[in-house]
Amino acid sequence: MDFTPSPDQSALTSAIDRIASRFETTPTEFHGFALDGVELERELESGQYFDIAAIPEMGPIAAALVVERLARLPCTAEIALSMLVRPQLDIELPRPFAVIENGRPGRFVATAKTLVLIDGAQVSVAHPSPEDVEAVESLYAYPMGRLAGKLSATPLAAEQAAGVRTWLRIACAAEMAGLMQAAIDATVEHLSVRKQFGRPLGTFQALRHRMAECAVLAGGVRRLALKAAWTGDAGDAALAALHAQESATRLIYDVHQMLGAMGMTLEMSLHLWTYRMKALLSELGGRGAQAEAVADYCFGAGQGSIER
Amino acid sequence: MNFDWDQEQQEFRSTVRAFLAEHLPDNWEELAHGPGSAAQTEFSKTFCGALADAGLLVPHWPKEWGGREADPWISFILAEEMWAAGEPRGGQYMNVNWIGPTLMRFGTQEQQARYIPPMARGETLWCQGFSEPEAGSDLASLRTRAERDGDNYRINGQKIWTSYAGAADTCFLLARTDAGKRGISIFLLPMDTPGITVRQIPSIIGEGDIHEVFFDAVELPASARLGEEGQAWDIIRLSLSLERVGIPRFALASRMLRRAVGTLQRENRFDAGAVQQAARAHAACEATRLYSYNIIDQRCQGQPPGPEASAARFATVNAERLVAEFVVEHVPEALAGGDALLLAHHQRAIVAGIASGAAEIQLNLIATELLQLPREPR
Ligand SMILES: Cc1cc2nc3c(=O)[nH]c(=O)nc-3n(C[C@H](O)[C@H](O)[C@H](O)COP(=O)(O)OP(=O)(O)OC[C@H]3O[C@@H](n4cnc5c(N)ncnc54)[C@H](O)[C@@H]3O)c2cc1C
Repeated sequence: MDFTPSPDQSALTSAIDRIASRFETTPTEFHGFALDGVELERELESGQYFDIAAIPEMGPIAAALVVERLARLPCTAEIALSMLVRPQLDIELPRPFAVIENGRPGRFVATAKTLVLIDGAQVSVAHPSPEDVEAVESLYAYPMGRLAGKLSATPLAAEQAAGVRTWLRIACAAEMAGLMQAAIDATVEHLSVRKQFGRPLGTFQALRHRMAECAVLAGGVRRLALKAAWTGDAGDAALAALHAQESATRLIYDVHQMLGAMGMTLEMSLHLWTYRMKALLSELGGRGAQAEAVADYCFGAGQGSIER
Repeated sequence: MNFDWDQEQQEFRSTVRAFLAEHLPDNWEELAHGPGSAAQTEFSKTFCGALADAGLLVPHWPKEWGGREADPWISFILAEEMWAAGEPRGGQYMNVNWIGPTLMRFGTQEQQARYIPPMARGETLWCQGFSEPEAGSDLASLRTRAERDGDNYRINGQKIWTSYAGAADTCFLLARTDAGKRGISIFLLPMDTPGITVRQIPSIIGEGDIHEVFFDAVELPASARLGEEGQAWDIIRLSLSLERVGIPRFALASRMLRRAVGTLQRENRFDAGAVQQAARAHAACEATRLYSYNIIDQRCQGQPPGPEASAARFATVNAERLVAEFVVEHVPEALAGGDALLLAHHQRAIVAGIASGAAEIQLNLIATELLQLPREPR
């Protein structure tokens, strides 16, 4: 048990910090829903960062650290699936990745080179050509897209499909952890400067306690996500995704509430994190389905550790 | 960064489990009810004696005092396994975790020689005399007085909520020798000193747990003072930081959750609603577990206690609550003669947000120290 990143992992996170520092601010002229991190993606691509999970000294846990860190940026790019899900497939598939669940619009679908299609219990992969997909306008702060027609896809064997679900859950939790932290940071900043009744809002205990609870939840999500990335265990992944979706549901409400009307503006850009979280809330069936997965993997038949 | 146990840690856990399997009597789960009951107190002395003989009572203590200087992981694994078993050490866990180490650091030679060896042999029970009727979360406002009279002090006042006071041999007592936070001193007070009255408080949390303790002109020699006059605040801050994460409550909570789920599964009652709540409770327990491990890891690295400890404490409160609520809703018979340990767990779980620092106080600390929000006006 060791929570300190190894020297290699620290070197990686410092390098990522340096890259991230150039993308920390939202361009003042930007008043949109999703801030597309084209430049960021290009940098990560040229530095071969999308393949770090495969490097033995790094592994998926290093990838999870990177995913969490970069999710805190206001801009977004398809990072999590490429870094955490793609390396788990035994065939080399081109990135960017995107997921389409039961035909619904998904993140990055319009630009994906590999699509993971989830239809009920079945998981398949496909390589769309540009006319197979289209962008859709949405409230979510990711570029969203959908299928424009039928697409031929290759089903994955059951075991491989289960592995994909596990790593999708880990990717979701790692990304959520970063989003939660960024939303907390933005809110803390606001509460520290905005004054009402002659004092900063952050001195009112009703808000302090809610923020503290959000911080505890976010910290829990981060730790569960990292552990799941370390073990790759289906139960750990389900726990992390469940805690992520459950905690984010509450946090999104709280942080918007604390920003007052300001939080409703595109200028404030809180939505760049909260409306990414909202997109993640429904993934893999949402909290209810994660809870069922926890029951299957952690309380299921064959779990020798069930107390009698 | 890794989430694996090394071989020594795994072996140590197995050793502790094997010890528990061998030494807990068949009726242990009934005994576990009432952490300060006469039966449990009696049993805990035999049990701690056996732990001491096996080198499992104070492994993290210095060699000089009967330990082997094991690292914080070892003492935490020990604490987890003990708490998960229903804490057969009873109140002696306090000796092991912080009272002993505090005496090693601040006690006189005479105090150390008198009090530490019986702790290391598992023969003695202490109680913690901090809280008072008017001083709960605001501990610094305590009023119990210790007046100097030549070579003696005379103590007058009252403590409340004192766990194990009915059976304790010695009290780790806070009393006022002067005004203000810096006017509080620590006394090591034998509980058989004349002038002490202990009254058990009937409660929903089990027999023998909480008490009122009255001090009526209790005389004790100045040599019973720990540290200097007015040093209490600094000492307890340091010694309680040995307990950074507090009791590993998640260990019993998560075991009891599994037991409750197992019962439902066997009886075909693990329905969709129960699945939802059990999974959330499990996630909360595991998040808490990782928070706690993170803090033990910081301690191993020699880092000073940070605000994450408060976050770990609050995460614990959440986890305990979700498990207790799950049991009440889905295995209600547990609280009505159905399962002695589930019942004992419920009684312990409901105090998680109050005992040793209320949840709201932890939230205040998290807001100020972790989030760096501006402080509340005083
Ligand atoms: C089972 C059990 C065992 C215990 N054992 C011991 C023991 O052995 N020795 C000992 O000395 N004490 C013991 N205690 C006492 C414990 O330390 C106190 O209960 C605790 O410090 C809280 O104090 P209080 O109960 O007076 O609550 P109060 O301080 O009156 O608090 C009541 C409520 O108000 C909230 N509150 C208080 N101040 C604030 C604030 N500034 N902002 C927001 N909310 C606030 C609290 O969070 C709580 O929700 C024990 C308690 C329990 C339940």
